[in-house]
Amino acid sequence: MSGAPNHVEVPRPGHGLAGESLSLEDIERRVQERFPSVAAEIAHGELTLHATAEVLVDLLTFCRDDLACEMLADLSGVHWPAGEHVIERQSSTTGWPEYRMDREQGVVEVLYELRSLSRNHLFRVSVGTDDTDPQLPSVTGVYRTANFHEREVYDFFGVEFDGHPDLTRILMPDDWVGHPHRKDYPLGGVDIPYKNDKFIPPPDERELREVIE
Amino acid sequence: MTATEPTTGGAPQPEDEIFVEGADWETVVDAVKDDTLTVNMGPQHPSTHGVLRLVLELDGETVLGLKPVIGYLHTGIEKNTEVRTWVQGTTFVTRMDYLAPLHNELAFCLATEKLLGIEAPERAQAVRVIVTEFNRIASHLVWIATGGMELGSTTVMTAGFREREHILDLFESQSGLRMNHAYIRPGGLAQDVTEDFVERCEALLKMLPEKIGEYEDLLLDNPIWRDRLVGIGVLDAHQCYELGVTGPLLRAAGVPWDLRRAQPYCNFEQYDFEVATDASCDSFGRFLVRIEEMRQSMRIIRQAIDRLPGGPVMVQDKKIAWPSQQSLGADGIGNDPEYIRHIMGESMESLINHFKLVTQGFTVPAGQVYVPIESPRGELGYAVTSIGTNKPYRVHVREPSFVNLQAAEEMTRGHMVADVVAIVASLDPVMGGVDR
Repeated sequence: MSGAPNHVEVPRPGHGLAGESLSLEDIERRVQERFPSVAAEIAHGELTLHATAEVLVDLLTFCRDDLACEMLADLSGVHWPAGEHVIERQSSTTGWPEYRMDREQGVVEVLYELRSLSRNHLFRVSVGTDDTDPQLPSVTGVYRTANFHEREVYDFFGVEFDGHPDLTRILMPDDWVGHPHRKDYPLGGVDIPYKNDKFIPPPDERELREVIE
Repeated sequence: MTATEPTTGGAPQPEDEIFVEGADWETVVDAVKDDTLTVNMGPQHPSTHGVLRLVLELDGETVLGLKPVIGYLHTGIEKNTEVRTWVQGTTFVTRMDYLAPLHNELAFCLATEKLLGIEAPERAQAVRVIVTEFNRIASHLVWIATGGMELGSTTVMTAGFREREHILDLFESQSGLRMNHAYIRPGGLAQDVTEDFVERCEALLKMLPEKIGEYEDLLLDNPIWRDRLVGIGVLDAHQCYELGVTGPLLRAAGVPWDLRRAQPYCNFEQYDFEVATDASCDSFGRFLVRIEEMRQSMRIIRQAIDRLPGGPVMVQDKKIAWPSQQSLGADGIGNDPEYIRHIMGESMESLINHFKLVTQGFTVPAGQVYVPIESPRGELGYAVTSIGTNKPYRVHVREPSFVNLQAAEEMTRGHMVADVVAIVASLDPVMGGVDR
């Protein structure tokens, strides 16, 4: 069979289908040699490379070709809105920490989990983009599996991936207004139509409740 | 008379209009040779495993293109977990992939535990292995059952669901629920196993091999089953890598990739089992891989039962462990009467601790983790972000069904419409997991 490797070892920790794993420090060093602008962070035994949108496609191509990352295991988004945010109902008298965030600029962070099967290592590339006009280059040219994932991030966070072959909503209805996983998306903001309501507007004419600060 | 000429009337017609009047059929076929037909398969179709819509582009019976349209079952579970505590999260994620609820719970709990920096006790890990492996068998049984039904074998359908029900009985006896158990919790298990747990597992281990042998007798040399699956939906290893396809599909492409071996969790490195592979890359190979995986799961369960350690099933940290000692009654899991007497009559501090943990939950240090496990359908990953509160900031699920579904187009191109059914069945997508 084409592509089916013959007589490969069953991967175990530290060893993949074809060779020893690269250590996280090794990966960090090799990436920073090639891309000096990329910052690295190791926490919970996981490596995160903080990259910018400009180097994203080159970095992922480098990881695929030079660091043996055959597979893009996952692609997801996290929204970090601008301004000060405090979650209520966590009064300081209870002793639980308050949820407080204060940032100048809102960011949509997109995480790429890269996996090597031949060498059995896994690490993450994190890229941020301004949340008022989120735009990133598409990596579908590097990993075809990014197609559905990028559509999902577009659907939930509004990130426009330049070069994506078919960037449409994937899980929400086509005519949905807003991007529901953003933190500024109003919860419970859509009127729930019920049987005896006078008039049920179609989804694209429903008004969302005003954005909560 | 040619097909493009009207039979009556002299007015010239546009060239692309075709009149069919029972005349020479071949000229009609020649005239429409380049035309393709777009057909909607689903979302309400018995072979689409729920509400999957496939937009097929057909040339006659041959599939030229296929586009999966999903989202009909989207329930916003990821978003829901952001406004609920970490313990409540398990009750949500268990409803995603409803054929593998325990795997969803396990992955979510492992991610939470990684952020907390704790590890569940040995006994909890062993029970987790037993129940998730039984869940894998139950899921593969449903795959054989529904896959068989879609290809016309109703005997396999009834048999598969029959055996699965015995496994669900085991889950019900331990968690109170057949499905959506919320049995695995951050830090351990909801409650210890019952006294007859080992006995029940032994009975299943005795019954299942014979039944799985029956499926092989029914299907392995069945000419219809072979005709429908051999050489259908070929996906080789490189295509799997590019499309992110994992699980039995990747193993049926000859790659012995199994996260239980490659990145062990729950002490899987201590168990002796083989990674089932097949080099055929087709739908029949996936059938063989799944059958073998059921056998290997039973091997793992056998070892786990034999070495089932004693001790607690929940971490001893009173700031994390669910305070209530729970017991299983006639109507499911409930508070133990002895415990209620203790907090209501004896210890005010216990009552306060109970109240705070139940209403507010524990806080989890800030951080980001990605925890993958091997679910029956492939790599099930939880990318969890915490900002140090009692609720997750973001939970993203890397659902194997969602990712594998992308491969459907590549696998079906050039095949017949009837093969689409077989190929989607070999993918084994669960729409609850795809749409989340």
